[in-house]
Amino acid sequence: MSAILDNFWWLLAIKVLVVALFIPGFSLVLIFAELKLSAHMQSRIGPYFAGGRWGWAQPLADGLKFMQKEDLVPADADRPVFKVAPMIVLMGTLAVFVIVPFSPKLIVSDLDLGVFYALAAGSIGTVGVLMAGWSSANKYSLMGGLRAAAQLIAYELPLVLAVVGVVIAAGTMSMGGIVAAQAEPWFHIGTFGVRLPYLLQGQVVGFAIFMIASLAELSRIPFDMPIAESELVMGYLTEYSGIRFTMFFLGEYAGMFSMAAIAATLFLGGYYLPGLPIASNAMYVLGPLVLIGKVLVLVFLMIWMRWTFPRLREDQLQSLAWRWLIPLALVNIMATATFKVVF
Amino acid sequence: MTERDFRAMNLSEVQVSVELVTPDVTLNLGPQHPSTHGVLRLIAKVDGEVINEIDPVIGYMHRGYEKLAEVRTYPQITALVNRIDWVSGFANEVPFMVATERLVGVEAPERAQYIRLILAEMARISSHLMFLSSYPLELGAATPLMYALRERERVLDLIEGVTGGRFHPNFNRVGGVKPAAGAGSDQKKVVQDLPEGFLAETREAMRTVLAVCDDMDELVVGNEIFLERTKGIGIIPAERALEYGVSGPNLRASGVRFDIRKTDDYLPYSKFEFEVPIGAVGDCFDRYMVRLEEIRQAARIVIQAVDTLPSGPLQAKVPRVIKVPRGEIYVRAENPKGEMGYHIVSEGGRGPYRLKIRSASFSNISILPWLLKGQLVPDIIAILGSLDFVLGDVDR
Amino acid sequence: MTASPSEIAERYAAMVGADSFSADHGTAKIRVAASRWIEVHEALRTDLPFFSWLSAIDWAAEVAVGDPPEEAGEERYEVLSRLSDVGGGAGLIVSTDISKSDPRVASLTGVFGGADWHEREAAEMFGILFEGHPHLVKLYLPDGFEGYPLRKTFPLLSREVKPWPGTVDVEDMPATENVEAGDEAGGAEPEDGE
Repeated sequence: MSAILDNFWWLLAIKVLVVALFIPGFSLVLIFAELKLSAHMQSRIGPYFAGGRWGWAQPLADGLKFMQKEDLVPADADRPVFKVAPMIVLMGTLAVFVIVPFSPKLIVSDLDLGVFYALAAGSIGTVGVLMAGWSSANKYSLMGGLRAAAQLIAYELPLVLAVVGVVIAAGTMSMGGIVAAQAEPWFHIGTFGVRLPYLLQGQVVGFAIFMIASLAELSRIPFDMPIAESELVMGYLTEYSGIRFTMFFLGEYAGMFSMAAIAATLFLGGYYLPGLPIASNAMYVLGPLVLIGKVLVLVFLMIWMRWTFPRLREDQLQSLAWRWLIPLALVNIMATATFKVVF
Repeated sequence: MTERDFRAMNLSEVQVSVELVTPDVTLNLGPQHPSTHGVLRLIAKVDGEVINEIDPVIGYMHRGYEKLAEVRTYPQITALVNRIDWVSGFANEVPFMVATERLVGVEAPERAQYIRLILAEMARISSHLMFLSSYPLELGAATPLMYALRERERVLDLIEGVTGGRFHPNFNRVGGVKPAAGAGSDQKKVVQDLPEGFLAETREAMRTVLAVCDDMDELVVGNEIFLERTKGIGIIPAERALEYGVSGPNLRASGVRFDIRKTDDYLPYSKFEFEVPIGAVGDCFDRYMVRLEEIRQAARIVIQAVDTLPSGPLQAKVPRVIKVPRGEIYVRAENPKGEMGYHIVSEGGRGPYRLKIRSASFSNISILPWLLKGQLVPDIIAILGSLDFVLGDVDR
Repeated sequence: MTASPSEIAERYAAMVGADSFSADHGTAKIRVAASRWIEVHEALRTDLPFFSWLSAIDWAAEVAVGDPPEEAGEERYEVLSRLSDVGGGAGLIVSTDISKSDPRVASLTGVFGGADWHEREAAEMFGILFEGHPHLVKLYLPDGFEGYPLRKTFPLLSREVKPWPGTVDVEDMPATENVEAGDEAGGAEPEDGE
C-alpha cells in the first residue's frame, strides 16, 4: 500500500483520477441526495423510476438529456466569453480540490499556503458567473451577474476572516498541517489526550460564519439572488442550455463538495478519525471515507437550509455580511488569538 | 483663447460637473415571467435595482366575456363566469346566479343555498391555499408549496366529487344547483344529491386544512427571513386602497373591516359565526396573515354548514326556458380575491342586454403603478405575489 | 343592514340633487346630469369612499349582436359608476346619460384614483372620451385595434362566421330566429328529490 503511495507516478495518477473523475461523479451523488432529500422534506417521493431502485440513475439521465440538447448561443451574445464562462466556473471549483487532503498522502499538493489558495481558487468561479451574466446580452443575466459580483465581495471577507481563527489555532496554513494539528491532543486528562476538531475547540462562531458565507459563495438559498428564479428568471443561467448549462450545474454541486470539504478539513478534522493514529495504514483507506462522511453531513445541512428558507433581498444580504458576519469574525479572531497567547 | 479672454473669465464661477449620469434601463417583466401569474407584463424603468416608473400592460388574456355574454342565455353564461378567476371557479358563479334569480324572482331552496355556501367557502380555501403555497415560493422557499398544495388537492377532490369539475364546476343553475352529478341525458330524472360520505370527508378535510395552517404558521411566519422580506414592504394605506377599489383580503390587510359576507345576503352567511380578520398596516406580511386567518374562518364556516345542512329540494321550480324580465341589478359577493360583482341589465331578451363584470383582481392591481414606484426589483415580486391576483380575473 | 336600498337611493338623491332615483331589485341608483358628474362624486365620496367600478351601457334600438331591447329608448350612452360604504352594506350606482354624437364626460381620476383603468376600459370599449384623464390609451386591446367592441353596432365576428353550434339546446340563442321551442311551458325541471 505505502509502496504504491510512495511512487510519484502512481500517486499522481490517483490524484488526477480523484480530481477529474471522482469529483464530477460525486457531484452526481450530491445531486441525487438533493433530489431525494428535498422530495422527502416536501412529502414527495422524488425520482422513482430511472435506474430501478430509488431512481438512483436520475442525475445521470438528467445529464445525458442535457448533453443531447442544443447548445444555444443568443445572437447578441459575446460568443467567446459566453462559451468560456461555464468552463471557468467548473475549473474554479475543481481547482480547489488540489489542496483538499483525503488522507495523509492523498493530496494533490499540500501547499504551505493551502488555505489561502483554496479561498483564492474558490472565488474564480464568480468571475465566470460575471462573464456569463455580461456576455448573455440579457438584462436578467446581467443583473444576476452583478448581484453575484456584489455577493462575492461581501462574502469573501467573512469567509477569510472565519478561517483566520483556525489558522491561528493551528499555526499553519497548510491543509495537511491543519488536519495534523487537530490530531494533536488538545489537553490531557491524566495520560489520555483529548483530541478534538476545531469546531469543538471553540471555533463554533468561525464555523457558523464559514458555513453562512460559503452558502453565499455558492449562491444557494437563502443567498441565491444571482439566480432568483422568481425575480430574474434564472439570473446568469437564463440563456444557457445543453452541455454548458450542465457545466454550471455540475459546478454548483462540485462547489458544494469543495466548500464542504474545506469546512470539514478546517473545522471537523478532515480525514482524521479520533482514536486512529494519523500515520497508520488504516488511515490511508479510511481517511477518504471519513472525509466524505463529514462532507455528506455538511452537504445535508446545506440542502436542509435550501429547502427551508426563503431568499434574502440583495441589500439585506449586504447588511448581514457587513454588519454582522464581519464584526463577529473579527471578534472571533481576537478571542482565538487571546486564547492562544494566554494558554 | 487669448490671455485676455482667459483673464476675463471669472474663475470662481467655473463649475465642473462630475455627476455620473446613469440612464434608466427598461426592464420588461413578462408577459412570460415566472412570477407574474400568467401574462401580466410590467414595463419597468429601473436604475440599478430601484424602480423609477412602472407601467403594467394587461389584456393578453382578454376574452371579451362582457360581449360574449350578450349572445348567450343566462344558464350558458355560467360556463363563462367560472373561467374568470379560475382558482376559485365556483365562487364566481354564485353572484351571477343570485343576480339572475333575483331578476327572475325565484329563490334557491335552503339546501341549495347551503351547498353553494359550502362550495364557495371551499373555493376560498383552495384559492387561499394556492396563495399560501405560491407566495413563499416567490420569496424563494419551495417547501411550503407542497404542504399547502397537498391539502388544496383534498379540497379540490371534494369539490370535484360534488360538481364533477375541479376548476370549472359549472354547477349552479338558475334556482338552485345542478341536481344530477354524473347522470347522463337518459337519466334526466335521476336526481343525485351530495355524494356519499361527503359530509364526513369534508369534516376530515377541514381538520387537515386547519392543521396545515398551523404548519404554515410555524414554517413560514416563524421564519426570520420571511418576516424580513415582507414586513413594511408594499404598504397600502386604507384610504388609498378604498379609492382604488382594492377589496377582499388586500383591503382588510390595510385595517378596513369590509367583508361583503357580513353586509350582503347573497348567501346565508348570517347564520354562521365567523370573524373577519384585519391587518394592522397593510404590508405584504399583513396580507399573508389575513389570508392565513381567513382559511381558518372559512373552515369554521364549512364545518358549521356541514353540521346544520338542511334537507330539502336542490332546485326551485323554474320554467324550462328562463325568461328574465326587464330590469337592472347589481349583486356582489365576497370572493377569495375580493369584491366580485355582476351588473346585469336585462331588456327582456334571451341573454342580458349588458353584463358588467366587476372582478376583484382588476381593481386590486390597478394600484400597481402607484404602489411599485421606488421599490426594489425583488420587492416587486414580493408585492405582486402578496396581492394574489389571477390574470383571468384581471382581463376577463 | 341599516337602510333599505330605496332609502339609500332616496337619501343620496336628495343629498346631491339627482334627477331621479330607483331601487329595482335592491340596486340603488341615482341619475345625474353629465355636467355634474365630478361634483356629485366629490359630494358622495365622504359617505361612500369605496370605488367599486365604472362602466357604460350602449342604449340602441338596432343591435348587431344579441337581442334588441323590448322598448327602444333614447339612443345614448349611459355611464355608470358604483360606490359603496365600508362595512355598512350601502351601495349606490351613479348614472349619467351622454349623447352618442359627442360621447364625452369628465374623468373621475381626480376624485378616485382607481377610476384610471376603468375609464381606459370604457374608453376603448365604447369610444367615450373621459376629459382630463392623464393617460387615456388602450388598456386591453392591442394598439392598432379599430372599433369599439362593446358598442351594440360592433359585430361579433366569430358568430357571423359560424353560428352557435349548440342546436340541441332547448332554448334559442340570442340573435337567432325565434323558433318556438317544443315545450316552452314544459313545467318544472327536474323534479325535486334527494
